[in-house]
Amino acid sequence: MIERSKERPADERTWVPPMELDPARSTPVPVEENLAAGSAAERLPALLAEGKPGRGVGRWLFGALAALVLVALGFDTADLLQRSFATSLALGTLVAALVGVAGISAVALLIKELRSLRRLRRIEHLRGEADHLVVQAGQGEGDRFAGALSRLYEGRADLEPALARLKDFVTDAHDDAEVVRLIDREVLAVLDRRAYQTVLLAARDTAVVTALSPAAVVDLAVVLWRNLKLVRTIAGLYGARPGYIGSLRLLRRMLANLAVAGVTESAHHVAVEALGGSLVAAISTRVGQGVINGLLTARVGLTAMHLCRPVPFGPHNRPSLGKIRGELMSLPKQVL
Amino acid sequence: MRLPDLNDLTDVGSRLLERAGGVAGRILLERDVRLGVTGLRRSGKTVFTTAVVDNLLKAGRLPFLDVISSSRLQASRLQPQPDPDVPRFQYEEHMKALSGPPINPMGPHWPEPTRGISQLRLAIRYRPNSALKRVVQSSAILNLDIVDYPGEWLLDLPLLHQSFAEWSALTLEMAEREPRAALSVDWRGWLATVDPAGRAEEELVRQGARLYTAFLHACRNVDGLSLIQPGRFVEPGDFENAPLLTFCPLPGGQRGRGTLWALMEERYDAYRSVVVRRFFAEHFARLDRQVVLIDVLGALNAGSDAVGDMKRALELSLEPFRHGSAGWLDWLFGTKIDRVLFAATKADHIASSQHANLRRLLDDLVADARRAIRFEGAQVETMALAALKSTETVMADHDGRQLRCVRGIPVDRDRETVLYPGDIPEAQDVFTRPYSFMRFKPPPGAGTDARGLPHIRLDQALQFLLGDYLA
Repeated sequence: MIERSKERPADERTWVPPMELDPARSTPVPVEENLAAGSAAERLPALLAEGKPGRGVGRWLFGALAALVLVALGFDTADLLQRSFATSLALGTLVAALVGVAGISAVALLIKELRSLRRLRRIEHLRGEADHLVVQAGQGEGDRFAGALSRLYEGRADLEPALARLKDFVTDAHDDAEVVRLIDREVLAVLDRRAYQTVLLAARDTAVVTALSPAAVVDLAVVLWRNLKLVRTIAGLYGARPGYIGSLRLLRRMLANLAVAGVTESAHHVAVEALGGSLVAAISTRVGQGVINGLLTARVGLTAMHLCRPVPFGPHNRPSLGKIRGELMSLPKQVL
Repeated sequence: MRLPDLNDLTDVGSRLLERAGGVAGRILLERDVRLGVTGLRRSGKTVFTTAVVDNLLKAGRLPFLDVISSSRLQASRLQPQPDPDVPRFQYEEHMKALSGPPINPMGPHWPEPTRGISQLRLAIRYRPNSALKRVVQSSAILNLDIVDYPGEWLLDLPLLHQSFAEWSALTLEMAEREPRAALSVDWRGWLATVDPAGRAEEELVRQGARLYTAFLHACRNVDGLSLIQPGRFVEPGDFENAPLLTFCPLPGGQRGRGTLWALMEERYDAYRSVVVRRFFAEHFARLDRQVVLIDVLGALNAGSDAVGDMKRALELSLEPFRHGSAGWLDWLFGTKIDRVLFAATKADHIASSQHANLRRLLDDLVADARRAIRFEGAQVETMALAALKSTETVMADHDGRQLRCVRGIPVDRDRETVLYPGDIPEAQDVFTRPYSFMRFKPPPGAGTDARGLPHIRLDQALQFLLGDYLA
């Protein structure tokens, strides 16, 4: 033992012999409190970093113009107030009240947007952390992650049984990777099923509308509106509840994703899908277009699922276009 | 008037069809799987089997079992076992022993060591995942057969491939080395006085067997000696006092007829064919899945010799099993074990942060066996698990350092204690420091709730072993 301690002095200093300790002085393994939310704000998440507009002349121009408009608006409002008070006290009060309501609701809207952005950021942060936990498979961080996720889904009646189950299942013997896998299986699987149904419905809607619409403008509008709504629904399901700016940002990020990588299948796959339906397309270009639009909507939906999920999909539970494709291919039969 | 006739006919037809469908469905949708729970003595086979059965029956603590997490499990129940001549596994008795006061006034304790073979069949009714199977019948049944037996008997299996001369040489060589040398003094003293080529005297044979049995019993009472052969000498089962169990290893090679050596060899061969071969053929030859329970911590406690001894015993006893990938011709050539799980049991004796290191240690320990089985084509997995979780991981303060300890009630006490058993290092050399793992009683509340016994990773073990059957 002594010789060994000479070889490894540093190790020897930290070594503790096996022993029994006083039960009264032991404490449960602590669950570190909400670090996730705090550190999320400090670290700049990928979502925002990508969404930042370029620093250039354009940005200065835009900023200056916006400031000018704001100043002009302020002057006009002040002017309007003076004139209405000059006309009559009643009119003045009414206008002042209107200005007040407008101002307050603008501020409220801004706060709401900011909060929804923070939720998005929080989910983004959770995703990064889940990845980290699965790779590290350490000890003690998993509980904190489960806590952060439970807070994210606090007050959701539909998830209460799943969260309660999760609490029952997680023991002190699970390592972090196991805790994340449990969350994945018990809580997120529930959401996945519903999100997938939503995507399925939206894809069918777009396909039918495209196939039946009389003018291209109409279906362009409907497809855009349906996609935006789909993204918002899915983000809401996973707890992101994005505001307008948030969902636009999400949509933009998704478009980049769709264009560059293709999350579930490559663009070439969609083309093959479309050609596979060539018989249909030959019969009716409209129906063919409908199927393509439906598939594109489905891809938008699946991408949204990938981006909004607090734990990234693994290889075994990755949602696939397969079922949606089958559903869409049966569309010509329904329509014709 | 013809219409009702036609109706009757179609009715009979549809009923026939239904029955045919039922028969076809039974063939298609009722499957048997034999799970071989293998392990040396005191590796926790009985508790493992009890915990598996209890958890599958109550299904409240198995989140990692796919059939349960996707809520396709309908229910499980105990069924009459397939072999009527084997005693039934006393699941209820063992559960009672493990349970707390309302059920068991004596307080929870571990089941008595297993003395004989027993069997249990558990039928699991579930909804298949595949659409094709669901078309035939909405639910399917998996019959899970588990056999429990004394771990001592497992060490008989290597004898199947050894002749008396080979076995004698190996045993004698081992007996001359420490720690066995001190225990075998009497028997080796007797060996020195007899002439293997001399005439066979029954009294002489009995004396030798008695001394050898005493030596084996002494080995069993020392911590950390695993290789004790033949197993029936220490755990005779229903062969108590049979002449089959009166022989012992003798030095030297083949001798002529009528000699002591020839008589011993005759009995050894009879033991092999009557006891060992039958035991293997009836219970191990038809296994589909295998879990090898290894008490790594117990061996660590006893020291490096014990680990070496256990490793050797395990490798020897795994040899006779037929591993390989399952194929469609199996019904013709006999089944093969296509999934093997090596499990380090009693993982609750250490803090949960140590489980990864325990698993790594197990990986090192079974590396050779694992490679061999993989080569045959079977899937192999290793895990650190506890069939019954009897401790909790807590933090305790020691000289300003926070240590992860385990809290539980030791077997010989009534009060809880907090134990720091020593950390298992990540590196290969694990014997630089002493360990002090302690045996704990089953947890006070075990078996009293309707969720099943608390465990560590039993669900992941079951998912690996049975997951594809329950798909």
